[in-house]
This record gives sequence, structure tokens and C-alpha cells, in this order.
Amino acid sequence: MNLFISGGAKNGKSSLAQRAAIKLSAGGPKIYVATMIPCDDEDRARIARHVADRAGLGFTTLELGRGVERCLELADPASTFLVDSVTALLLNEMYPENHTGDADPGAARRLTDGLLTVARRAGNAVFVSDAIYSDAIRYDSFTEHYRADLASVDRALAAACDTVLELCAGNLIVHKGVWEP
Amino acid sequence: MDLIIGGAYQGKREYAKSRFSLGEEEIFTCREDGEICLSARCVDRLEEFTLRCVRDGVDPVAFFREREGEWQDSVLICQDIFCGVVPLGAENRAWREATGRLCVYLSGKAVSVTRMFCGLAQRLK
Repeated sequence: MNLFISGGAKNGKSSLAQRAAIKLSAGGPKIYVATMIPCDDEDRARIARHVADRAGLGFTTLELGRGVERCLELADPASTFLVDSVTALLLNEMYPENHTGDADPGAARRLTDGLLTVARRAGNAVFVSDAIYSDAIRYDSFTEHYRADLASVDRALAAACDTVLELCAGNLIVHKGVWEP
Repeated sequence: MDLIIGGAYQGKREYAKSRFSLGEEEIFTCREDGEICLSARCVDRLEEFTLRCVRDGVDPVAFFREREGEWQDSVLICQDIFCGVVPLGAENRAWREATGRLCVYLSGKAVSVTRMFCGLAQRLK
């Protein structure tokens, strides 16, 4: 079973995703795919908060900032995988390691393929993304391309997943499939 | 009138075309500097029209109210730019609020209101 969760920042997506992964795993192995590649102390503090949040929940953590589909080789593919977040993965894929210069234009396609592979082959998968599409701002072209690319990945995942949930101020909207907390 | 709202790149226009069997030539796309054509079967990017209204000192709700006969059977599409952070610029703040007020007015008049999320349609009315 695959689940896609999106919504605004600090709306409870990550904690819902963790609860969902625990439920879907039905006691089987749970893999947390950590996606952030830390750049500074703020990132490291955020990661430490997330690690503390997950302590005792029984997740095995895999750090995969790029090439997310490798989680299927690094862990039993029958496991329940929690991928948090699509947003961070896209940024990482746009800037391959030691990369200088412009963003890689093939990033969104590559990431979509990787995530759809996970959705297809994993025992269960929960994907977390961010709804960044409703602002009264004219963004610079880099940001606008990033939003368009993230939307293309989100929409491919939403089409592929059994259940699609949105969190709005902590409230759950079921866009596709069924969800019983 | 049927109203479709949602964030950028969420599939509003594709959904309108599929649900109402619209051809690309039947959709008028508003531009920041362009006119609006309310006689088209479908008018997309109302948020571009509201930005022009803000710049020209026009109240978009009054504009639509005075021309209700022209769009009452149309499909109208607007980006929900009123959900994000309150912007720092005065023009962007006015734009955000004008668009919010217009969508509330149009929702009241619509026979159906649909919100698009990641390519999926959510029926609000």
C-alpha cells in the first residue's frame, strides 16, 4: 500500500507519516529514508529534532539524499519505507555532488522514476511532500522552475499512490483512496 | 458557472478541458497586461486579471457583478494565491486579498466549485 501526504509547513505531515508507516508495517521492518543533506548548523539541529522524534518508534534510518531507489537494495524491499521528503530529494537531485553551476534539468524526471520504482516495489511506502503552490509572489525563474518540477513529481506520485492525503492546519483531507487513522 | 481553483501546476486547466470537453481555443487566458474576454467558454488565470485590477484601481468583484450575464454559464479558473504567507510588498498584499474576495464572490455564484490538489479534484460545492 502506498500513501502520499502533502500540505503546508509545520502542519503535522511528518508525524502523520510516521504513524501511517507504523500502522502499514503491521509489525514488519520500517525504514526511514532520511533525505536532507545538512549544509549548516540549522540543518543539523533540524535533523537532531527529527531523530529525537523518531526515537523508540522502531525505524531503521537510511540516509539517501540522492538516488532514493537504492533503499530497495539497502533494505529488504518488503519493508515499509517512509520517504520524507520529496521536496528535499528534488533539491538534492538538482545539484549532484560537487556540482557547480546550473541545476540539472533532468532532476525531476530522474526523481520521479526513482520514487515510482519505490512505490511499485516496496512492501509499503509513505511519501511526504510540501504544497508550495499558493503564494501571491512572483518568484525568480529558479524558484518557479523548482515549483513546477516539484508539482510534476507530486502529481506522478499522487497518481500512482493508493491514498493521497493533505494536511491543512493539522486537519486531514482525503483526496484519494481511504484512510482510517 | 463552474469555478476551479488550486495552486500553481496542480492540473486546473487540464481538468477543466477534460471535464467540460473544452478545446484549447475555447479558453481565454488572462495576462498581467491583457484584456479579459468574458464571452469565452472558459477563462483561465483570473489571478492575472486581479493583478491588473489592483494596478488599475478596479474592484474585480464589482467588475464581475456588473457583467454577470456574460460569465454565468462559463468555466472560470483561478490560482489560490491567497493561501500563502502575507507578502511584504503592498501591491502583492492587495493582489492576494482582491483574489481572495473575488473567489469568495464567484464561489457563491457557482453551481460547482472544484479545488485541484496534485492533479486530483476535490469537490467543494
